[in-house]
Amino acid sequence: MAAQSVSVTSESRGQARKAAPSRQARARIRGLWLRTLLTVFLVGLFVFPIFWWFLASFKPFGDIFALPPVFIFKPTFKWYSVVLGGVSYNQIMLELTGALTSTGGGLYYSVPYIIDSIIIASVSTLLVVLIATPAAYALSRFAIRRRHDLVFWILSTRMMPPIVAAMPFFLMYRRLNLIDTYLGVILVHTVVNLPLAILLLKSFFDDVPYDLDEAAMVDGATRFQAFSRVIVHYILPGLAATAILSFIFSWNEFLLTLTLTRTAVRTMPVAASTFDTSTGGTEWGFLAALGTSAMVPVFIFVLFVQKHLVRGLTMGAVKG
Amino acid sequence: MQAGMRGKAGRKARAGWWSPERPWVWLTPAVALLLLYSIYPLIYNLVTSFKEFDPLIRGFQWVGNENWAKLVQDERAFNSLRVTLTYGIWALSIELILGMAIALIFDAGTYLRGLWQTLIIMPMVTPPAVVGLIFRLLEHSDFGVISWILYNAGILQPAEPLLGGTGKHALAGVLLADIWQWTPFCVLILLAGLKALPTEPLEAAKVDGASAWQTFWLVKLPLMRNVLAVVILFRIIDLYRLFDYIYIMTSGGPGQRTETLSFYAYQTYIFINWGYTATLGVAILVLIWVSTFVYTRVFKVEW
Repeated sequence: MAAQSVSVTSESRGQARKAAPSRQARARIRGLWLRTLLTVFLVGLFVFPIFWWFLASFKPFGDIFALPPVFIFKPTFKWYSVVLGGVSYNQIMLELTGALTSTGGGLYYSVPYIIDSIIIASVSTLLVVLIATPAAYALSRFAIRRRHDLVFWILSTRMMPPIVAAMPFFLMYRRLNLIDTYLGVILVHTVVNLPLAILLLKSFFDDVPYDLDEAAMVDGATRFQAFSRVIVHYILPGLAATAILSFIFSWNEFLLTLTLTRTAVRTMPVAASTFDTSTGGTEWGFLAALGTSAMVPVFIFVLFVQKHLVRGLTMGAVKG
Repeated sequence: MQAGMRGKAGRKARAGWWSPERPWVWLTPAVALLLLYSIYPLIYNLVTSFKEFDPLIRGFQWVGNENWAKLVQDERAFNSLRVTLTYGIWALSIELILGMAIALIFDAGTYLRGLWQTLIIMPMVTPPAVVGLIFRLLEHSDFGVISWILYNAGILQPAEPLLGGTGKHALAGVLLADIWQWTPFCVLILLAGLKALPTEPLEAAKVDGASAWQTFWLVKLPLMRNVLAVVILFRIIDLYRLFDYIYIMTSGGPGQRTETLSFYAYQTYIFINWGYTATLGVAILVLIWVSTFVYTRVFKVEW
């Protein structure tokens, strides 16, 4: 508000005293509208690809390829009927194009991939939370020698590019018969998400005053009871955020799952990539339907963690 | 943590080595798994980089420093490093500038800001493999909307499309997907930084009659040093692992125009030159360590 008095020049002071607030208010509203319009345009650019993909999953065969782009069309559910409903691929392609295409077969039916993705993401999330919570508690509560180095080491494991770990894990898994098993994929997803979960949960524990632990222990609780019955309750929102983020990252993980599975276990992103390479690019309706199905659960989940997203994505370094 | 020390002395003195007062009891499962993920691949790759897989005996054989000698002369490896760095510099600068611009607009205030903030999160949580597919559709040389717009604007010729052709624009095509997915990340974090700015310096700047431009460069930006450092660190880490878009959109081609380090390593893995995959893996790790070490020292990133 200091600026207000500065901006009023001396010669117009008499008039300005009355007119200035309304003129400033008007300028402020004009600024708000201008920025809103600019934002609509910019955000539109970021939403458009998803919107376009979503539309493609409902477009009749020819409209997907139409240029100039078609926005109004008679929606079809045929792509979803194959991808999610198990209708025969050949039957649909015959209906749509009037010709039998040689490629394809049953592999477009994607419900098994969705189930695999859900199993892997849920179990690995559960494991991540179970293992990371005590570790985060210790990092936050105990006087650990060289704690800073330990935290940085945990952070550095997040830097491991998947390709560097993929081959050693592939060869180890081959020896242990873990290739193409749920256990194998769950294990690797758990490990990949641990650093994020530990550091994120640590930042939530750090927000809870240590006096609460002490009070509980003075009242006769053991250290473990203080942790599990008192402190954990204060970080429930943090736990939820961590769980949801682990779930999303496991759901989206690609390279390690690709190298460690063959056909028995297949997650959605890997399935989408095999569709693509096996069809040469004429069957975008199937891809769009599968891709949209892969995105929807994630979009719903992320709404719940929006408040903690910044903290989560920076592993606790920046608090949003 | 000061409070933590207080209760410790008495408690710890009577605690046994297995007591819950000992941090290792809490940390062991996590540290064991992280060791498995960080130390095991490192040692395995280091040892394997002196071997090569022999399909005849279906096993590894020692080859001495052959792989390392090959690496220092490998034109393709240097090409992939060049591609990765080019990609990284473009991606990072565009994402930071665009992200900062959008964050500043959000911070200055708009109607319905919550809605825009929710919508802009969507790219970030889309599976990267699906992002690759989406942009393959959008950039398709015959029926992609982005290609169509660029053709009509005269920016691009159908003979030289975004993806395919001689590959002149292929890297830009992949960059587009990266920028789309990760600019929102920069927006969110920079916005958090802007919101956390202390009010006094900003008001002081206002009183002194600083322009918005001056306030941004001389007050806001220096105060956001830490947040910027974190954003850049995370993007650097991610850029070295760049794989999903390349795999889906270009397979490293045309030629080796879009072959990143990660993707080249994957290629050697597919062709069962596993000894060389390990060599490249170690090289990538060293690159990451050196760059993040230098980076965290220069910028003094705090955790």
